[in-house]
Amino acid sequence: MNKETNEFDVIIIGGGITGAGTARDCAMRGLRVLLLERFDYTNGATGRNHGLLHSGARYAVTDKESATECIEENMILRRVARHCVDETDGLFITLPEDDLGYQKTFVDACRAAGIRADIIDPAEARLLEPSVNPTLIGAVRIPDASIDPFRLTMANLVDAQLHGAVALNYHEVTDLVIENGRVLGVKATDLHTGQQKEFRAAVTINACGIWGMLIARKAGITINMFPAKGALLIFGHRVNQMVINRCRKPANADILVPDDTVCVIGTTSDRVPIETVDDMRVADEEVNILLTEGEKLAPALASTRILRAYAGVRPLVASDDDPSGRSISRGIVCLDHESRDGMAGFITITGGKMMTYRLMAQEATDLACRKLNVNKACATATTPLPGSEENSVSQQEPRSFAVKAAQGRHGTMADKIDADTPLDRALVCECEGVSVGEIRYASQQLHVHNLMNLRRRTRTGMGTCQGKLCACRAANLLGKYNHDAKLAQADLAKFLGERWKGVKPIAWGSALREAQLTATVYQRLCGLDKAVARKEGEQ
Amino acid sequence: MAATTQTTFASANNFEQCLKCSICTVYCPVAAVTTAYPGPKQAGPDGERYRLKDPKFYDEALKLCLNCKRCEVACPSEVRIGDIIQRARMQHPQRPKLRDVLLANTDVMGTMATSMAPVVNLTLGMKPVKAVMNATLGIDKHRTFPAYASQKFETWYRRHAAQTQESFSKHVSYFHGCYVNYNYPQLGKDLVTVMNALGYGVHLLEKEKCCGVALMANGMHEQAKRQGETNMQSMRKSINELKRPIITTSSTCTFTMRDEYDHVLGIDNRDVRDHLSLAARFIYQLIDNGEVKLAFDPNFKMRVAYHTACHMQRMGWAIFSTQLLRMIPGLELIELESQCCGIAGTYGFKKENYENSQAIGAGLFQAIKEADPQYVATDCETCKWQIEMSTGVPVLNPISILAQALDVEKTKQLNQN
Amino acid sequence: MKFDTIIIGGGLSGLTCGIALSQKGQRVAIVAGGQNSLHFNAGSMELLGNVDGEEIAHPVEAAQRLQPNHPYRKVGIDHLEELAQEAKTLLDKAGLTMSGNAKENHWRITPIGVTKPAWLTLEGLATVASSQLPWKAVTLVELEGFIDSPLQFVETNLAAQGVQVKVARIAPAVLTQARRSASEMRATSLAKILRNHQALASLAAEINQVTTADELVLMPMFLGLDDDALAALQAQVKPRLAFLPTLPPMVPGVRIATALQHYFKMLGGTYLLGDKVVDGLIEDNTMRHITTAKLQDVLLKADNFVLATGSFMSGGVVADFTRIYEPVFGLDVEAPANRADWTLAEVMDDQPYMSCGVATDDTLHALKEGKAVKNLFAIGSVLSGHNAAVQGDGEGVDMLTALAVAHRITNRQ
Repeated sequence: MNKETNEFDVIIIGGGITGAGTARDCAMRGLRVLLLERFDYTNGATGRNHGLLHSGARYAVTDKESATECIEENMILRRVARHCVDETDGLFITLPEDDLGYQKTFVDACRAAGIRADIIDPAEARLLEPSVNPTLIGAVRIPDASIDPFRLTMANLVDAQLHGAVALNYHEVTDLVIENGRVLGVKATDLHTGQQKEFRAAVTINACGIWGMLIARKAGITINMFPAKGALLIFGHRVNQMVINRCRKPANADILVPDDTVCVIGTTSDRVPIETVDDMRVADEEVNILLTEGEKLAPALASTRILRAYAGVRPLVASDDDPSGRSISRGIVCLDHESRDGMAGFITITGGKMMTYRLMAQEATDLACRKLNVNKACATATTPLPGSEENSVSQQEPRSFAVKAAQGRHGTMADKIDADTPLDRALVCECEGVSVGEIRYASQQLHVHNLMNLRRRTRTGMGTCQGKLCACRAANLLGKYNHDAKLAQADLAKFLGERWKGVKPIAWGSALREAQLTATVYQRLCGLDKAVARKEGEQ
Repeated sequence: MAATTQTTFASANNFEQCLKCSICTVYCPVAAVTTAYPGPKQAGPDGERYRLKDPKFYDEALKLCLNCKRCEVACPSEVRIGDIIQRARMQHPQRPKLRDVLLANTDVMGTMATSMAPVVNLTLGMKPVKAVMNATLGIDKHRTFPAYASQKFETWYRRHAAQTQESFSKHVSYFHGCYVNYNYPQLGKDLVTVMNALGYGVHLLEKEKCCGVALMANGMHEQAKRQGETNMQSMRKSINELKRPIITTSSTCTFTMRDEYDHVLGIDNRDVRDHLSLAARFIYQLIDNGEVKLAFDPNFKMRVAYHTACHMQRMGWAIFSTQLLRMIPGLELIELESQCCGIAGTYGFKKENYENSQAIGAGLFQAIKEADPQYVATDCETCKWQIEMSTGVPVLNPISILAQALDVEKTKQLNQN
Repeated sequence: MKFDTIIIGGGLSGLTCGIALSQKGQRVAIVAGGQNSLHFNAGSMELLGNVDGEEIAHPVEAAQRLQPNHPYRKVGIDHLEELAQEAKTLLDKAGLTMSGNAKENHWRITPIGVTKPAWLTLEGLATVASSQLPWKAVTLVELEGFIDSPLQFVETNLAAQGVQVKVARIAPAVLTQARRSASEMRATSLAKILRNHQALASLAAEINQVTTADELVLMPMFLGLDDDALAALQAQVKPRLAFLPTLPPMVPGVRIATALQHYFKMLGGTYLLGDKVVDGLIEDNTMRHITTAKLQDVLLKADNFVLATGSFMSGGVVADFTRIYEPVFGLDVEAPANRADWTLAEVMDDQPYMSCGVATDDTLHALKEGKAVKNLFAIGSVLSGHNAAVQGDGEGVDMLTALAVAHRITNRQ
């Protein structure tokens, strides 16, 4: 498809997992698709959650519909997104302070929702998961797993593009083009160049998570949404190999997920004003809650190094007949604004959760197809994502650490990473095993403009040192690939600032030592602060 | 939240305290001579995070680590990098080669060899035999096996020393190690001479097994653990029932039993550790506390260069040997810059490691040549083989030097009580 | 085991103090818990580079404007120049030829090509007289496969000052083979290879191929760890060479650390590397002895003790979930009580934690429960009251407090 065109069948606003999934589904059904993302893909809630592939067990007691959706999607994603899923299994544990009676209610509800739930002996649970709180009095094994949202989103985007879709990040939708009660397209600004652009499509899909309410406002439409902040902590290594949940009514900090090389405890849940959602910072009280509850799941967390704290915003949607927001559904909300608000050509897809993104995409795409009179069935439940194709994983046992790590991150797409010369194999990020070849691949194929993009695509700077040496090496490489060293240097400073934002709430112990060494390298030795200040002064 | 929450930190061999500062990589003797080894940071704490995620991240190149622990000495964050690597090797065992089994089982080899020492020494020294060992076993042809003694130290002890030891008022147990037993009983005899002169009876442990360092280096951790438990049992008896502390003359045996038993093999040695010491340290303490006195032979003259063996450096005990040597009036001491000699026990005996081994030791050999001493002193037996083979300068244990320098009779009189 | 003075910490301040005392004939032991933060030194010593956000050309003069609790106040602002001269002499005796003086800063070129004020800089490294670069044109030598020198940034930062930059790429096989290791092609690894004369000659040949005699050539310092490779290379190439520090581990810093350790031992000092002080007996406001992890029941005794254990990253002070403390002797620290006050929102801000450290009296005696321990001094980065990353005074504080304390110890005898 000609990238210069501004006529599409569908415009999708939002580059989170919902937008990416919808773009893929639409493109697979033959629609001409444009996806616009204001910042980076996965910048919102998609990139700021547990990375949990829910079995649905968590919702079984309170919300059977969600639970059923979860387990169905869970099984689908294990097939179509194999390279994004780590099949860890999970435990729901009962602690002495919990009501063991709840376990039966829980198991019954799981089974009713079609979720495998096996009550196991606490001793067996300790054997299966040595890090679990040894005082547990009950345990249920359920098919939880972990999933990498960055990989999942990029795989959807890559496939959408393979099916002809156009995806642009750093394009902010400034307005909707509305004529005679119909959305005809969007106006957007390229944030890198400042250029104003207009795109047209018969259908525009609002898939912006919590930011969706702001987009809807541009069409004069009110969606009753409530931003709910959830804070999480990342620990330095995998303490647990299985997901550990508390077997009780869902509450704060009751899920510990092993994600790639780390583990994540979360979350808290607090309603916050919509004005604050672009700059979420984790407060000391949230850290306290996460630590207090976290060490109940796995006591080792009390003495494990913390890498950073972060927070995301859940898009909670109140039902249309309850503006108070008390009856919140975590289910999928697909709004046809034509029937709901008399605004044709406009759909909002929101609510739901990362787990059910595919189903959300399917619903939104079905609706768009109906509007476009396209009659083609959804195939996303059976077609593997790029990287997850069966039997195409390189049969040769990889020898190098970086190649193994890259295969974990990109699945079969790792074959596209150059690893032929020692130069390509050189490690840039030593904590996470990211090579020069992988960074070049990401920069050329995965919409990488800056270090933050690179981190989400490759884990560069996500490891123990949070980018101390690799950030400089990687920025230098990006400067080279993008032919703009000045920008890359400013980006390096920005990236260090972003890393610090996550370190600050947990700045003690080794994290503070690491921060001081980072300051020593970049401020004291390199004078990066001076370089960046001068750059700003010049402008 | 508990009071200990995020105030005490625990991770296996402190791997999470790593600041990724890369200092360890500057001091790794292996990474300096071969690009096949990923270096201590990558092999240690960096790799450990990935191995915890999935054992498939284990890298065969870890066997190139010679366990010198110089990374740990250099680390400003107390990360036990070498231990992390050793433990990873233990958790990913490979079937050892015949050669490695032979090299590792120092006491089996020793028992067989000492009984026919002249034949074995002759055979092991013959060129055709060396060529066969080189080709079929992968033991480097440049290596000369340390000669086996015709009489084991234990045999000598039982015949010539055991009877008189009870007559002393104070007592120690002596963990002699395989090398003293099979290759160099003279060091054991020197130890008995010195300790007797200081008024201490010297006894063997009820049962002594090889400390296991060679087994660990060759991937036979289960056997090492069994032998370690046996040693701990014997030592417990010595400490608790017989009230005899244990001394040794090998820095590597001492280090293995004091530190690696716990950190690598997971043997609980806490009750034994503080009662197990190197003879040089034990004697230094006796002198420092005014409990014994030494009298030296006024005619003794020797020019000695002291080499700090890797495990001696890791234990931080070289100061005891050098302080002891400095007490000898006729001795001129040159302290060599502490660096690895490259042998690392059985490591340098393997054909595939020979070149690296000699490249690692080159700096030390050069320093010894420049210092031009009569003797090199060191507390490690495998350093002795390597230095003697590579420089031609004879090597002595500080205890042997002490035995030569002492006026034994006079010292005995000084310490009679 | 008895010494005249025992120093805890083997970095720049500990070594400086140990050398100064040994030169006066003292029996000194240094207990060094591993290698030190000199390994992150770019080959320059900073005395004072920045006061209130303004770059400083005349550090001694500008020191008058320092905050009242700055460690220089306890050394005596009037003594700075004299002590700085003494420090330079000490470095020189250790075999470290450095240019610069305390009255007038020069400007060093950082690994990313920015100029920063410095007091002393190791011979061979690129320096200029002022913040503004005087060069019209330079040639940057880029070594293939070497990713620890961000030359893209050097290029852009030099260009921002109007310097015309040419990049000359070299790939001598003797060095690029180090890239066969994915993680170990570091400046210090290359420097070990370049100890070999033939290797150095092949590097020189490559440089000669891509440069001409009239160029000023800047290249990353991946040689000269402990030998005269810099001068040897200069002798073999046509153009004039000036070296740039790399990312850590940094050759010039390791060179300084190695030279000082050698010199200290040559003077008869005892350097206990890889050991750690775990305890000490303080009675009657006097340190009686200390215990180390390795020597265990062999207690270390001395007339005077010096704490030179560095800041957080070296373990001299420790922060945990609840407090900041001095971990060896439980000495008093100057640090905000609340964790929220340790840090500020922006990473490059003057972070309060950077100025946290051990509390001392006016003569650098460490305080415990408000009282000065008579024979325990604190020196270097473990001291509170300054932020080396912002003020550009790190090495100055290390060396000058060390020398001041060495004087106090020897004068006391």
